Amino acid sequence: MKQKEESMEKENRAFEPKIIAFLCNWCTYAGADLAGVSRIQYPSNIRIIRLMCSGALDPTYVIKSLLEGADGVLIGGCHPGDCHYISGNFKARRRVAVLKASLKEAGLEPERVWLRWISASEGAYFAETVEGMVLHLKQLGPNPLKSMWAI
Amino acid sequence: MASTANFIKGKNQRESIERFLHDLLKEKKVDAVLVPKRHPGGNIVSHVLITDPSKTEGIDPLAPVQMVNAACIVKELSKEPVDKKITVILRPCEVRATIELIKLKQLSDESLYIIGYDCPGVYNVKEYMSIIENVEDKEAFTQKHMEDFLSGDKESMREVCRFCTSFTADSADINIAWIGLGPSGIVIEARSEKGRQIANDLKVEEEGDLAARREKIETIATARKKRQKSGIENLLDLIQPCIRCYNCREVCPLCYCKECLLEPEKLGYSSERYLNRAAKKDQIKMPVDTLLYHLTKINHMGYSCVSCGLCEQACPMDIPLGTIYNVFSKKIQALFDYVPGKSRDDELPLTTFREEELSEVEDR
Repeated sequence: MKQKEESMEKENRAFEPKIIAFLCNWCTYAGADLAGVSRIQYPSNIRIIRLMCSGALDPTYVIKSLLEGADGVLIGGCHPGDCHYISGNFKARRRVAVLKASLKEAGLEPERVWLRWISASEGAYFAETVEGMVLHLKQLGPNPLKSMWAI
Repeated sequence: MASTANFIKGKNQRESIERFLHDLLKEKKVDAVLVPKRHPGGNIVSHVLITDPSKTEGIDPLAPVQMVNAACIVKELSKEPVDKKITVILRPCEVRATIELIKLKQLSDESLYIIGYDCPGVYNVKEYMSIIENVEDKEAFTQKHMEDFLSGDKESMREVCRFCTSFTADSADINIAWIGLGPSGIVIEARSEKGRQIANDLKVEEEGDLAARREKIETIATARKKRQKSGIENLLDLIQPCIRCYNCREVCPLCYCKECLLEPEKLGYSSERYLNRAAKKDQIKMPVDTLLYHLTKINHMGYSCVSCGLCEQACPMDIPLGTIYNVFSKKIQALFDYVPGKSRDDELPLTTFREEELSEVEDR
């Protein structure tokens, strides 16, 4: 038993989660850019897709990412009140709430989806968020949907 | 809202409704009536748009069969405002779907008068057709069905109807009530200003007693609530037979998009991508993305789902979609304390927001 746990832990340590990130053009994407130009180190597990607004993200793309084996999905938007389109991020928050409720009911793992507000000046916070998410996903282990073919 | 009640006492409830609609047309309160009517062959009951009062003879809104959710017909009928008054006779789930569509700006309700009625539930359409073929007296069959509804539902009824607790049309302009009101009469309840416009100066034969009715409704709803499922344990197994035929989308009154994100060309399938996807997981089920399809549909229309169960009736693979969508949409609606079709004033949950809310989804 202990041996099994140890080998699992070893496997998990070796496991590098893949994160799909949907970032809004005005805040979080710029935040990621700032992290880059400031030479702040953060894990390379993230694949960024730029959107004009977090409110423009259809939940289907998050679901598709998870079903096809992404270990986590990060949705980044402007802080409440700062949305370039006034209220897109508030609407995104409602959609994410619906999405998480439906994932939970379907027996999938809503904790693989993170919604974070990161501004254009928060390069360090962006790096911190990615680090935290990678750590969290390593604890969770690989997405079981990765090997499920009959879905 | 206070309602006024007019009692009409005909031979039976069906005939009472017939008289009411006949008078509406004859006294030119409305120009047209959309109502289910039995076809000449005798088996099929489907919606008919009637302009001549004499043609209301043989209407049968209470027959326990629902071919489509009539909100879809109302949408087609009210694409643009017309200079005529149209009244539509709808089941409660159809009233709720119509109100959602009004809120979603999918139809023009200026010339529309929505009349709902106490619904005794329906059979699956195939089940109904096979039974009714061998029934001589169709009217007696409907009457018997209504009696059964009052004393406890038949097992052969559709599952969504058996757990439905919203079987009175409270949000219509007028509700035609008969539950708990004796064997033959109906009460015309005007529930909005529009409803009062057309119902008020109808001949009132006597005032109906609504107290017994409330009690009966409560009893039936309590019994049915026990049938409702609070969760789906094995969604993956349940939707395994899905062949992605899109039937459930076609019949859904709330799937109103003109262009659907779930169309194969929108999902970007190509031979090469199929092969890539198969290679990624070593193998992949064809047709692909059935779980993606259902989860996306739930995310898109779950907040407005009125649990009419038409998706389940249309499913060629007999997937219990009515129960599945009911469970999921209840969870989604609970997030925003939203009851679809209950009121025209409640904001649609995904087009509005509160600044302080849902902080739990910003964490993990």
